[in-house]
Amino acid sequence: MEDGKLKPLSAMLDGLDIETFFMCRDEAEGRNLMLALLTQLGFADVDIVFIEHRGPGARVRGRAYLHRPGVSHPFGGQSA
Amino acid sequence: MKKVLLAPIDPVHDVGLKMINRGLKEAGHETILLPPDLPPEEIVEAALRENVDCVLLSRTLGYDVAEHTARFVDLAEAAGLREKVLLGIGGMAIRPELGAEMGFDGAFGPGTTVAQALAFVEGRPFSEVAGDAVKRSRPDLTAGYTYEYKNTKIQALLDQIVDQFMTWAADRTSPAVERAALRKAMLDAKKNGEDVSQLRQAYGKLCTGASAAFYATGALPDVVREVTQSELEQLWKYCAQADSKGPSPDIRRGGAKPLVFTQYGTGCLVTDIAHVKLLEAWAADGVVHFDPSWGARTEGFMEGVLSHRGDGTIITAENLFHIGHSLFAHTLFQVRAHRGLNTPETVLLAGELGAHLTKINIAYGSLAGGTDPERLAIDAFEAMRLAAQYGLPYDVVTNEELAGVPAHKAFAGMLATLAIGRRLGGRPILQPLFCKGPEALIRGLMDDNYVDFNAAKVIALRSIIDAPIWPGAPVGFMTHTEDRVQSALTTSLHAALGAAVGVDAVSIASTDEAYSGGPIVSGSRVDTLRGVKEALRFFGHAKITPTAAAETMANELVDKIVTVLTQATETGFVAGLYQGIFGNPDDGAYPGRAGKGSVTRRTECVR
Repeated sequence: MEDGKLKPLSAMLDGLDIETFFMCRDEAEGRNLMLALLTQLGFADVDIVFIEHRGPGARVRGRAYLHRPGVSHPFGGQSA
Repeated sequence: MKKVLLAPIDPVHDVGLKMINRGLKEAGHETILLPPDLPPEEIVEAALRENVDCVLLSRTLGYDVAEHTARFVDLAEAAGLREKVLLGIGGMAIRPELGAEMGFDGAFGPGTTVAQALAFVEGRPFSEVAGDAVKRSRPDLTAGYTYEYKNTKIQALLDQIVDQFMTWAADRTSPAVERAALRKAMLDAKKNGEDVSQLRQAYGKLCTGASAAFYATGALPDVVREVTQSELEQLWKYCAQADSKGPSPDIRRGGAKPLVFTQYGTGCLVTDIAHVKLLEAWAADGVVHFDPSWGARTEGFMEGVLSHRGDGTIITAENLFHIGHSLFAHTLFQVRAHRGLNTPETVLLAGELGAHLTKINIAYGSLAGGTDPERLAIDAFEAMRLAAQYGLPYDVVTNEELAGVPAHKAFAGMLATLAIGRRLGGRPILQPLFCKGPEALIRGLMDDNYVDFNAAKVIALRSIIDAPIWPGAPVGFMTHTEDRVQSALTTSLHAALGAAVGVDAVSIASTDEAYSGGPIVSGSRVDTLRGVKEALRFFGHAKITPTAAAETMANELVDKIVTVLTQATETGFVAGLYQGIFGNPDDGAYPGRAGKGSVTRRTECVR
């Protein structure tokens, strides 16, 4: 299997969720870290789905939408 | 018959291997199950000595997997075993790609079934569509229910309300009733290859807003477009691949209650069908079509295979056709007709295009769904008549509880709608909410637990009538947070409560239920279904026991339902909706205004 030939993004139905624990001071910093991570990975349509800050850091779930219904889909969709 | 050697290469026995051993024996094969943790040399020696056709190894522990398996393969090769014996490996620590690299003929990861292992041993492709198929049939939620009243006082009140309603509704009609008749005529004409232009013109004259523009000029709203043939062709390939795997095993255990429904309605027909196929794959029993809110305020449906940029998927005959045809035969397909200005036609299309269920409630749709009570009453009357004609059961939803209407008022409206539906020959399904609604918050009904008040609703309804119960929609409404784990857990526990109190079905949300930043993603749908499956598996037929408070709450509900229905016998059902008997502005219920003044006597012309 030659991984270089695989196109995982084109196989995604709608979005990519990334979960992690950030060491950070507060929720705002945790949000910024996740948004920065998603942006640095090259995603444009990004958001925080869930974040909870306690003690040393934040449990975060970020999301990058590759396709939004009515805008695009992986079956050759177009803008409405 | 094959001779198979099974060997766990772990310090402890692998349960999976024992199950496969049993399955192979039951299928008529001869098996030899070796003790755990034998060195590769002894396994190879045993295989040669016993002259087996196949060796199945299992490995549960993750450390040194590659070393153990590589040593076995080297020895098997050196002993001449590799050429004449089928070699397979599986277990929690095995990844298919690792097994293939090591030179095994088959490698099976976590979740492998006995049927898959059996197919491997027998040297045939695993086919869920053929002999290995999971058998699923389409259940009937209403089967076995008599609809006999257990509370004769409530029965008498409902009889009186229905008598009044039938007299009031008998000579009334609306543009929606007329359009449904025209749509039926158009569908019939198309089937016969006849021209529909005059019917279409007449239909267009009964439309408003975007639908009127569509029939006048062919224009679609900016947020709507036609789906292309190319998109559909790519989508059908995806569906064919999904279907080739065959139906998934039941999410419930052996067909036990409840059926599990989930809603779709991203707006995009293509995305919806893509989601529906994964919902089926993760064993949802049914799917519910969610239409756009603006559609409920617009007179008339457009035509074509249409995609919508926004929540809710447009109802057209063509859209319902494509969604319906994407489903397995066992999957239940519900199209909602509980609010808005197109309810009779929605039921007509659902019936004509092979849907199995619909959703109707006069009280909810007119007090919390935005439709004028008189208009919805006439439209729902026709919708229920059509539902009976097409044999479509329908749930009677009580989501007005979310607006703040107390459960007893919502239930009184639900029971009145059910009674009208029964008089028209229908098979309605009670749909109480399993939710943490305003009433529960204000009165502290859920301060201790989420079990009692939800269970009380079921106990109360069961004491009134022998009818199917399908809590929704979705269960656990207002208990979800944006946290995926919490969201899946609360849905799963509410579904388990439904199972414990013996309801017939539940509607569940995705783990994106409380996330408002974007559309629901496919993974979030899978996560909840996995949670529900685990919860139903965990509790099985074990019961969840409510506290004594549940019985008290149930008795109070019944008493208050009697009070509301008594008042309604004095005002009539429809007048009672305007007067706040089934929910008033203090409760958070307001009579809707969409379609106000559009009901006419049948002697008048509505066109």
